[in-house]
Amino acid sequence: MIKTAGLNFAYSGEQSFDFPDIDLVPGEHLLILGPSGVGKTTLLHLLSGILPASSGKIFIDDVEITALDRKALDRFRGAQVGLIFQQYHFIKSLNVDENLQLRQRFPKKMKDNERRYRLAERLGLSKQLKKKVTQLSQGQQQRLAIAQGVIHQPKVVFADEPTSNLDNSNCDKVVQLLKDEAEISKSSLVIITHDQRVSQHFSNRITL
Amino acid sequence: MNLVYLAYRNMISKPLNLVLSLLLLVLSVSLVTFILQLSQQLNGQIDKNIGPVDMVVGAKGSPLQLVLSSVLHIDVPTGNIKLEEANSIKKHPFVGSAIPVSYGDNYKGYRILGTERAYLDSYNAVLGEGRYYEKSFEAVVGSNAAKKLGLELGDTFISSHGLVAANAEAHEDHPYTVVGLLEPTGTIIDQLLVCNLESIWDAHAHGEEEDDQEEDDREAQDNEEHHHEAHDHEAHDEEEHQHEEDGHDAELEITSLLVTFKSPLGLVQLPRFINENTNMQAALPGFELQRLMGLLGSGLKTINGIAMAILLVSGFSIFISLLKTIRERRQELALLRTYGLGTGKLLRLVLFEGLFLAFFGFLFGWLLGRLALVVASRYIETGYGYVLQIKGPDLMEFVFLGVTLVIAIVAVLLASTSIFKLNISKTLADE
Repeated sequence: MIKTAGLNFAYSGEQSFDFPDIDLVPGEHLLILGPSGVGKTTLLHLLSGILPASSGKIFIDDVEITALDRKALDRFRGAQVGLIFQQYHFIKSLNVDENLQLRQRFPKKMKDNERRYRLAERLGLSKQLKKKVTQLSQGQQQRLAIAQGVIHQPKVVFADEPTSNLDNSNCDKVVQLLKDEAEISKSSLVIITHDQRVSQHFSNRITL
Repeated sequence: MNLVYLAYRNMISKPLNLVLSLLLLVLSVSLVTFILQLSQQLNGQIDKNIGPVDMVVGAKGSPLQLVLSSVLHIDVPTGNIKLEEANSIKKHPFVGSAIPVSYGDNYKGYRILGTERAYLDSYNAVLGEGRYYEKSFEAVVGSNAAKKLGLELGDTFISSHGLVAANAEAHEDHPYTVVGLLEPTGTIIDQLLVCNLESIWDAHAHGEEEDDQEEDDREAQDNEEHHHEAHDHEAHDEEEHQHEEDGHDAELEITSLLVTFKSPLGLVQLPRFINENTNMQAALPGFELQRLMGLLGSGLKTINGIAMAILLVSGFSIFISLLKTIRERRQELALLRTYGLGTGKLLRLVLFEGLFLAFFGFLFGWLLGRLALVVASRYIETGYGYVLQIKGPDLMEFVFLGVTLVIAIVAVLLASTSIFKLNISKTLADE
């Protein structure tokens, strides 16, 4: 599902990262571990195609995304990649449900109310659907971010510290949800985490 | 959920910002459309009203005043002229038609005009109901006057002295009867109560003694009208007279004579002839009003210029507002990129928002302009008896809308350069 070869990224001059090659089959998950500043987030951004690599190749679902032009890459990412960021980003002028609709709509043109409601239910956001995103608590925002990462059934989900603001019960719910969603769509999870509660569920890991 | 909806939600998400960026646009659009409509309608009305009149002959004084009073009915007359003297002009070979008009009374601010049937014909006024007047103190009523005064066939009204409603003195012994209602003509006729010349003479013959008491209060020119000597008013009471052939007319007076030329040469020779050889003056409405509009026109142009300057500033304010929006929403735009929206789509999103701003600004501005027109119409109607029509958008306004949208598009393009340089990874990693 994900394959990299000789991936390297250099921030203007000084800092340069060489990343170990990755090879995941569909349904196989990966934890990325390591101390701060070793380029975990950078690797995640490279894999998801929002940051161009300095050298090396990335294949997702047998598509060489490092060879795609910007437009094709945008489209591929929109359809096949789910991103859960460490900082949450939403469209502030839309409410919770509309934010999820928007993610369904672009670029797959999905309109599956049922799926949205079920996902919100599992993440404990059912009562928050009509609220403004700015009215949500930190934990609720994080769960919404997770919903946004999986709502469009992508081939791969990249998550950067997805449980940092969650209590134990919600953390379990989220991990279970991520695994279930991956199971259904035969997709792979790539997760950066320091969280023991998460890492205990996954065996395949690399340390940077 | 699509880009248009998202742009709309983005636009209304900060109402105060929205109002601020729309304010200037609304102001300039309302000014421009208001001035445009006002000058168009006034010009149109004036053109229609002076249409059937090539030359006005009246008492000496300001030629512009003569035209304003006798043709447009928005000023007081310069005085009276002798009917006999006026009739002598009719015989000139260059004169096509010459219609005498006499006035000086009003009913609740609407002027009562004594004249001949030919006056109504010259404006193509046709009866909607009833008949034309046949004898004194019968009146046909212009459509707007009838509507505003609530006059119907068979109603009677009492005229009072002067040309504005405030003049209280009434000719109570001579009530007028409404015998005809005119169809709307879009000309000054709509504002008038029209009767025969004799009515005016007779009303004033009877009221003469009362008039004298008020002489001091009135302008000299106004007074002239009160001095119709009606040596044979008895005879006028019941029948229409051919005054132009009446040898006893020597003392009868009219306010002015509305003349058309038979030959273009009349334009060259007649005014000069009258001004030099008679006690009367001749004024050319086309010429006088062109002069007036030249003066007013520069005022209107100045206002238009100011409005255009405001429009440019408002374009700039839309630009600033969009620039601010794009900066503030940098992360949202980056997020949309991760959703698979290309830069083209993001540009479209901002474009929709800019166009929304421009469109709603224009819409509100247009409505405000029309509202101002309603207010102005009320004011002008009370003061001058003219009514402004509240019309739908016209071609010029659509062109103006186009200009506004183009300005918005330019503002969007200038503001959105940063969209193309958006660093998604960095923007999303920032707090």
